[in-house]
Amino acid sequence: MAGGLSLYAEGTSLLHRAHPLTKGVVTLSAVALAFIAPSIGWVAALGIILLVLVALAGVLRRLLAVALAILLPITLLLLAVQGFANPNNRTVVFALGPIVYYREGLAIAALAAVRIACLVGATFLFSFTTRPADLSEALMQRGLSPRMGYVLQSALQIIPQTLDMAGRIQDAQRARGLETEGSLPRRARAYLPLMLPLVLSSLVATQERAMALEVRGFGLRVKRISRYEFVDSAAQRILRWVMALAVPGAIAARIAGWR
Amino acid sequence: MSELALVFDGVSYAYEEAPREAVSDISLSISSGEWIGVTGPTNAGKSTLCLLAMGLAPHFFGGRLKGSVLAFGRDSRTVPVIERSSEVGLLFQNPFTQISGARERVDDEVAFGPECHGLSRPEVDMRVEEAMRQVGITHLASRHPLDLSGGQLQRLALAALLAMQPKLLLLDEPTSQLDPAGTAAIFEVLAGLHARGVTIVMVEHRLETLCELCPRIVAMVAGRVLADGPPDDVFNHAAVQDRVGLPVFTRLARDADLPGPWPVRLADSTAAFESPIA
Repeated sequence: MAGGLSLYAEGTSLLHRAHPLTKGVVTLSAVALAFIAPSIGWVAALGIILLVLVALAGVLRRLLAVALAILLPITLLLLAVQGFANPNNRTVVFALGPIVYYREGLAIAALAAVRIACLVGATFLFSFTTRPADLSEALMQRGLSPRMGYVLQSALQIIPQTLDMAGRIQDAQRARGLETEGSLPRRARAYLPLMLPLVLSSLVATQERAMALEVRGFGLRVKRISRYEFVDSAAQRILRWVMALAVPGAIAARIAGWR
Repeated sequence: MSELALVFDGVSYAYEEAPREAVSDISLSISSGEWIGVTGPTNAGKSTLCLLAMGLAPHFFGGRLKGSVLAFGRDSRTVPVIERSSEVGLLFQNPFTQISGARERVDDEVAFGPECHGLSRPEVDMRVEEAMRQVGITHLASRHPLDLSGGQLQRLALAALLAMQPKLLLLDEPTSQLDPAGTAAIFEVLAGLHARGVTIVMVEHRLETLCELCPRIVAMVAGRVLADGPPDDVFNHAAVQDRVGLPVFTRLARDADLPGPWPVRLADSTAAFESPIA
């Protein structure tokens, strides 16, 4: 099976080379701004900036494939429901038999869809250009304890590891004649003989891994030096601050009447 | 006289809530630079011997320990396992649980231990490169550990251990998942380490391999040492023959009614079989 939960796509673009914290701050701020900005024009502008960054990172095709699968059904559902049933609906746009669609509802649906598109775009832009291990490593270099760093890194590996173990158990049980495919009742019957060894072996593996970590010196009170050095620059630091401050700034602007 | 790497002095150990001792009255002295093979049937106490030498028993498992286990003169009761990890390394039977579970690249996985020990970046890089080269996984450096086969994972676990550069290596069936070529390659690595003065204690079921590689064998049964000495002595011991088994050459010589002591290695058995014919 493919290792890891990472969506990272190898590349050498500016975004790939940027400091993981810069990408993290930009992502979080972009998502926050998308939901704070009051009108579809502002949110769409943010979306276009994200789209340009995605294209610069060379992952546009990957993003479009994922975005279509996620965003298309959500957008259609939002338009269908809000355009028809939003309580603020006043201005009729068109009617499909007895179902009448209104401008207000469609506008609200469009704003929500563009916001979700920004959320998806920013998140995948980060995921496609940043190894999860790099983010936790960068955080450890900024003072996160190695124990917390390990928790963060291992949490990202738990699902693929469990799937890997489940696959091995399933193969072993199949070799003994257990039928794991076919009708729903048959698959349900196969569930227990798969789950019990999975849970037990996970517990054993956890104990053994805890031992193995001790044997490798995990937890020693020494200054840990990372093998990786992430390039940072004044421009990136300024960008991080600008993006981080833009969020409270936008909130303040909204309170002050930004429409 | 060379320094003692590992000393078991009247050691008995029972796991917590276990009705009986896993090992009983073990006394062994292992000098620096020795290569010891440990063998015996299931539940002989071989793995427990490794856990005691590493200090995981009793530090990790609790339980009742009598006697003392000294690694390089330091009692296991007083030295935490993480401190001992700078000079003693243990390779577990299951390589899947030996990996950290946090790294996404093979070379990063190998670097995990040296990084935990606070070594400098160039030192870590040098050790990672050397360890991967030794076990033949340099070409897998950028792969995800979970993408490796069982044999590759076992090599990775060994590389991760070698990168710590321990003075004493405890290996619990280090080649159980390797094919014959991979096994031969790993034993070649171990022979190189042994030649450089690393002390090796290796649990292994392949008796022929043990006889070829290890100048000293410890045969264990039911938690006790049944025999301890050169392979020729150990496998010509009647109780070992009955309860542990025999290398194939020894068994052939016995079945052919050759006069004892029976050979335990291929080279010796050739001579032994030629003599009566001549």
